[in-house]
Amino acid sequence: MTSSFQTVASLRSKLANRDVSSVELTRDALARISDLNPELNAVISSSEENAMKAATQADEAREKGNDSPLLGIPMLHKDIFCTQGLPTTCASKMLANFVAPYDATVVRRLDDAGMITLGKSNMDEFAMGSSNETSYFGACKNPWDTSRVPGGSSGGSASAVAAGLAPLATGTDTGGSIRQPAALCGITGLKPTYGRVSRYGMIAFASSMDQAGPMARTAEDCALVLEAMAGADPLDSTCADQSVPRYSSHLTDTIEGMRVGVPKEFFSSDLNSDVAAAIEASLAELEGMGAKLVDVSLPSTSLGVSTYYIIAPAEASANLSRYDGVRYGYRCENPVDLQDLYLRSRSEGFGDEVKRRILVGAFTLSAASYDEYFMKAQQVRRLIAQEYDDVLSQVDVIAGPSAPNTAFALNDSSKSITDMYMEDVFTIGANLAGLPAMSIPAGLVGGLPVGMQLIGRRFGEVDILKLAHQFQQRTTWHNLTPTLEERH
Amino acid sequence: MIVSHFNPDLAGSTVTQTTTVRDVAELARLTIADSDIDKVTKEFNQTLALFEALTMVDTNGVNPMVNPCTESQPLRTDRVETLVDRAGLMQNAPASEQNYFLVPRVID
Repeated sequence: MTSSFQTVASLRSKLANRDVSSVELTRDALARISDLNPELNAVISSSEENAMKAATQADEAREKGNDSPLLGIPMLHKDIFCTQGLPTTCASKMLANFVAPYDATVVRRLDDAGMITLGKSNMDEFAMGSSNETSYFGACKNPWDTSRVPGGSSGGSASAVAAGLAPLATGTDTGGSIRQPAALCGITGLKPTYGRVSRYGMIAFASSMDQAGPMARTAEDCALVLEAMAGADPLDSTCADQSVPRYSSHLTDTIEGMRVGVPKEFFSSDLNSDVAAAIEASLAELEGMGAKLVDVSLPSTSLGVSTYYIIAPAEASANLSRYDGVRYGYRCENPVDLQDLYLRSRSEGFGDEVKRRILVGAFTLSAASYDEYFMKAQQVRRLIAQEYDDVLSQVDVIAGPSAPNTAFALNDSSKSITDMYMEDVFTIGANLAGLPAMSIPAGLVGGLPVGMQLIGRRFGEVDILKLAHQFQQRTTWHNLTPTLEERH
Repeated sequence: MIVSHFNPDLAGSTVTQTTTVRDVAELARLTIADSDIDKVTKEFNQTLALFEALTMVDTNGVNPMVNPCTESQPLRTDRVETLVDRAGLMQNAPASEQNYFLVPRVID
């Protein structure tokens, strides 16, 4: 059996050198999922037969001369991406039996690159949550401490990569759903610029902020996979028609003199003091690498949560109106009429957090509230985006914490709904402004991982990736792995 | 935009009444059990209270930001294409007959 904690880059070399085959890697990964998933609940469904068939084809293609960099490497897709012929549930009872009739563009591109889909990872229902506890299929656990959450909404992807079930998983990030779980599970996660990656076939939550990205062990792996994921798509008009840099070729470009802005608002009372100390040590490391730290201010940071929790539920209430029990998805038993069918299918098919957000969204979009809430939030969004643009005209990258705390306990009844929303306070800004941002491992506090966030200029993924990569050449936080008991 | 039919005097208040929450639920085609209405209303008000901070922000003359796209969205040729065939689309239908979706009778 090969090591479970290898990177995409190292597996690429081993496959190219014929040290290992895709069939072996895939078989090992499926065995590890089978072994550890009962404890972690990171994977909703796995596709063993399809995966082994694809792995065999990948090995055959390599023998015929195919040397695609991702060929034969196993991975997981967050269960928000449509995968033709496999269940796509969005972790909801509403879609528990849904089998997508087409592939998402992200799925298609990674398939075309030769990656092997092992299965679909757990998540908060319709990506609404920061703990993975809203999943219809049960909470996913953090492999560093299985009494704690992995974060969310891409909690299954983060948990799976951290536990070595796969070297890579896809995620989506609407308000921090790649970065916060990456931070809480000690892995590297990248939310690209809005419009960098196609949203076609990615089940919609808040369409003006949703963005797909890679979750992996290192920045180098994120760079390799983003190269395959990104680029214009005629099936998504918001996907930018901009050339895709070869990110992996820029990882060693100099960072000497790079200006890294540190917003004072990211070190407010919302931030746990031990997490703050870990981030400050990591910032000092960046300075030691030749970057220049610059004090900056994003005064509207605290307004981001209010703004986001108006806009995202409003867009969600519109997007989720399609689930009506008629064309696909859950339908209630014995509806007496069409209204009854709509009401009961939706009320029985959606979980509490989804219904909570639909209600808020329907309210803020209603005629009597539209200007006061929805329009106002869109105006504040403009102000927040301008603040980021102004700061990023003075610095190359913004750095700070990804999340205010380390992983919190499962079923923590002391946390109110709005306490949970505050988990996103440092990540939301990049979504509102549409900027690329990533979380990289930056320390341990009480044995739990801490993530440092790097935010770049629009389409400035090269800057954050090279800074992250060079940080990972000098630190070992990303190499740490949780201790998990294998059953066999 | 959803057209509201509930009392506009209550809109915007952080002390939204249970009746208003029920009205919003009806607009969203959701039902709330009697046993849940107090909890749902309380959580609804907690969330609206979070939004109060925005009332202090001067947004006069600020152009609303609908999305972060900085370039105009491209149009493509209006050409018929089959992305998903009929069988693929119908396979998830909860009830169908002769390639039509079945719903309860709406006309007697």
